[in-house]
Amino acid sequence: MSQEQDAAASLYRKDPKVYPRDVNGSFASLRKLAVFVLLGLYYILPWINWGGHQSVLFDLPARKFYILGLTFWPQDFIFLTLMLIIAGLSLFFVTAVAGRLWCGYACPQTVWTEVFLWMERLVEGDRSKRMKLDASPWNKNKILRKTAKQALWIIFALWTGFTFVGFFTPIRGLGEAVVNFQLGGWETFWMLFYSFATYGNAGILREQVCKYMCPYARFQSAMFDKDTLVIAYDEARGEPRGGRSKKDNLAEKGLGDCIGCTLCVQVCPTGIDIREGLQIECIACAACIDVCDQVMEKMDYKKGLISYTTEHKLSGAESRVFRPRIFVYAVLLLALVAGVIFSVNNRVLLRAEFLRDRNALYRELPDNQIENVYTLKLINMDFKAHQYKVEVLNNDDIRLLISPEPELDAEEVGNFIVRMQAPASAGKGSMKVDVKFSTVGEPVIERTVSTRFLMPFE
Amino acid sequence: MTTEHPVNRRWNRRQRDWAVVFWISFLSASAGAFVLFGLVDPLDMVNAWADEYDIGMRLAYGLAFAFLYLVCFLAAALTMFMIRTGPSRGHAKGEGKRPIPEVQDPSQSSPDIDGEDWK
Repeated sequence: MSQEQDAAASLYRKDPKVYPRDVNGSFASLRKLAVFVLLGLYYILPWINWGGHQSVLFDLPARKFYILGLTFWPQDFIFLTLMLIIAGLSLFFVTAVAGRLWCGYACPQTVWTEVFLWMERLVEGDRSKRMKLDASPWNKNKILRKTAKQALWIIFALWTGFTFVGFFTPIRGLGEAVVNFQLGGWETFWMLFYSFATYGNAGILREQVCKYMCPYARFQSAMFDKDTLVIAYDEARGEPRGGRSKKDNLAEKGLGDCIGCTLCVQVCPTGIDIREGLQIECIACAACIDVCDQVMEKMDYKKGLISYTTEHKLSGAESRVFRPRIFVYAVLLLALVAGVIFSVNNRVLLRAEFLRDRNALYRELPDNQIENVYTLKLINMDFKAHQYKVEVLNNDDIRLLISPEPELDAEEVGNFIVRMQAPASAGKGSMKVDVKFSTVGEPVIERTVSTRFLMPFE
Repeated sequence: MTTEHPVNRRWNRRQRDWAVVFWISFLSASAGAFVLFGLVDPLDMVNAWADEYDIGMRLAYGLAFAFLYLVCFLAAALTMFMIRTGPSRGHAKGEGKRPIPEVQDPSQSSPDIDGEDWK
């Protein structure tokens, strides 16, 4: 090796590839359940119809979001904002109580990595087999296995990308377009983009995303306190660690309960040693707890050498679940959820907006009447067609003429020309006019909207 | 009168970082507002989004700029945060990294752990 190469080699320490060993146990089962539920929802929801629409569809061109039987219009954006705030606050709440529960069980990065790892294990075998395969020279077996793994990954990633686009374009039509090779340019682009992101994040980058890219990993410590659940190794009980047989007398050998099998390191998806203490890389997947408990069982020791615990508990103090910050998060969360549920249920499924004619403030008619002209934008947010009655509430002088009679199909937006006329003697300047819209027949939907009627000022 | 620290009014690192975040997001939002309103009439935005509240053209400009400023500010602040909490200089060379944990075949030191599960 030349001097130059030597210098280059010393400038960079490559992190070794992590080959997580498969693990079984209660927490692993919980994560598998989360994978099934979350990915199940992701892949199946767009295929289910609800109230005549795809159950979840973000129809951007039509500016309507369909979420489980509810339709959100641009005017309802406040609800989406509130839902995002609720999601954020839930994350804070869960993190304060139970640490990185999100990272270990529900984060898309974890969930999709789990599936990609499962495919990798299926084709290449568990940890030691994968390590051997990677170290071996290229031969028929290696080429076959690597190709099969890549094929599975790519198909799954493409399916993921397809489903993602299916949340924005009706998925059944999208499916037909794919089958008939009639996909549009943007659909193709987003499908490939999201497939590539899935493949890259879950197949290639994996733990690097959590270590270097994820902002949540960086600021979650702000939500931690000494009563937050973390995964920790009981050093007092485990050390000094060392190999032994079941029959050995521990006191004689001067050993703690850790047998130094390093299985906790081998199952770790981020490749850390939990016995070194809490580390930012730990995503709290609890794989080390599962495997350590199995070892403890086999050695006839008490389980829980690595466990969900709190800093307070580890130091012998009492741990509290109900702390002021938990209380504040919980109250805020409850208030917001209740507020959103209440206001979504009490939404009026009709919107009306008056746009004034910008060219003329008012017109004087021959019979000494003053006329204002508006464009009325009426939005029927209901799933049924409706005919509407329009009346002026607070002013008997004003006569409202509308053409044509407002009648809208389900979820239709209509523009109507509205003329309001009043005798010139009715007043001066600007008058507030309340206009009431109500459905003809069932169900009764009413909304009152105010606008201004302008008269000559002198 | 002598002072122990002749440059004690100088901003510290954190203050300078925040100043940069405020200033750069202002510049970016200004550029963004120029481009945006070169293409879009603010009154169109009023008609499209906020009919119920009759906001004037100036308020539309102001709100759009405030929104752009907010987005740029969030991006800049998050970037600063990610850089400041990220690995320190020399990380790629291995400095400050924990040593790679050593692993072994469990059955080597503890013969009871020899089942197929652990191979």
